[in-house]
Amino acid sequence: MKAAAGYTLQTDPVSAAGELQTKFQGFDVKAIIYFASSIYDPYLLSRAMFEKFPEAPTFGCTTAGEIVSGRILKHSISAMALSADIVEDMKIGVLKGIKGGADLESVFSSFENYFGLSMEEMDHTQYLGLILIDGLQGVEETVMEKIGDLTNVFFIGGSAGDDLKFDRTFVFADGEAYSDAAVLALMKLKCGYEIVKTQSFAILDKQLTVTKADTRNRKVIEFNHKPAAAAYAEALGEPVENIEQRFARNPVGLIIDGDPFVRSPRVVYEDGSIGFYCNILEGMELKILESTDIVRDMGNILSTKKGTGEISGVINFHCILRTLELQQKHQTEEYGLLFSDIPTAGFSTYGEQYIGHVNQTSTMLLFK
Amino acid sequence: MRGRTRKLIDEIIEKRSGGDPTLATITRTKLILKGIDPDKFDYTTVDDPAVLQKVEQIARNTGVMS
Repeated sequence: MKAAAGYTLQTDPVSAAGELQTKFQGFDVKAIIYFASSIYDPYLLSRAMFEKFPEAPTFGCTTAGEIVSGRILKHSISAMALSADIVEDMKIGVLKGIKGGADLESVFSSFENYFGLSMEEMDHTQYLGLILIDGLQGVEETVMEKIGDLTNVFFIGGSAGDDLKFDRTFVFADGEAYSDAAVLALMKLKCGYEIVKTQSFAILDKQLTVTKADTRNRKVIEFNHKPAAAAYAEALGEPVENIEQRFARNPVGLIIDGDPFVRSPRVVYEDGSIGFYCNILEGMELKILESTDIVRDMGNILSTKKGTGEISGVINFHCILRTLELQQKHQTEEYGLLFSDIPTAGFSTYGEQYIGHVNQTSTMLLFK
Repeated sequence: MRGRTRKLIDEIIEKRSGGDPTLATITRTKLILKGIDPDKFDYTTVDDPAVLQKVEQIARNTGVMS
């Protein structure tokens, strides 16, 4: 087995880390990634994980729900142990103070020194990055953009959650816990991998062009030269006062080669502007999306991928809005079961990362 | 001036991808997420100074232009 997944419902951080240690006993652990509910003391948990797995890098983040092979959980820790058959080598870096503009160069320098290769030279088929980032600082786009400017290595990941309290999220690395930070893990892989970005939406023939935006605050002031809320309402044929109820079902998407990069509306402000969960630039032409069937789409993806070869493990960065939709449609159990025969760990995120920052999406890493 | 924006976009895609089609697609996606859609420009498009400046900045940030 190349990857092993496990979970614990123990509420004490030391006991929880101990249970995970027991579950992964006998497994050749090269690295541990874990996703923990905000019920745990982050500092104690990170320390306990570090102490229980002294032979491997340990890193993770807080969540808004956890995913493990066959199950969707709450108030737990899900974890994945990666073996030397997957990870040849790994280096972890912490970007601190991301709200004020993180010093990515120094983290990348540490990667370059460690692997003896510049980030620009690294082969994207051999090297792969994971990113776990504070989900409440609103700077994912900036960090992802900077990463994308400096390297062709893919970084995939999620924004840390805090069980919908929207108070404070944490990332973990080697015994420490951080807020206002991102953990980057650069892996030299021994196996192949595939990245899946999936969202379950139909693209409607209704276009909204951003004519005025406050990008820094993730706010669209005008679509089509009209107050954003009024234009969105008009496109859907709904009174403005009802549109917040449509947000989850009808987000907007930037369509690139037929693939929507979802931008989810969050709130209507008194001035008629709309706040989003990610930034949107002036001039962008967006389409209104209509939600379809998450379980059906994920089932199709997994059966296609299984048909093309073995999947050793899946890390699933799954938007909390998808989790809420599954709950509302009573499909949570069905969704969890899709992953029952694959070692899987993941969490409900406050945002997903792949190339950029997206919403209402699952970004998934499949190890071959 | 015409077509300078498109030429610079092509240069960014070419240099960043090194001829790898996957990386060319990804670089194009990165540009669109930054608000620059390559398909909106051709070699006869009159250059908008603000857009050209933005593309030049991207070229500098990505190490394509010093």
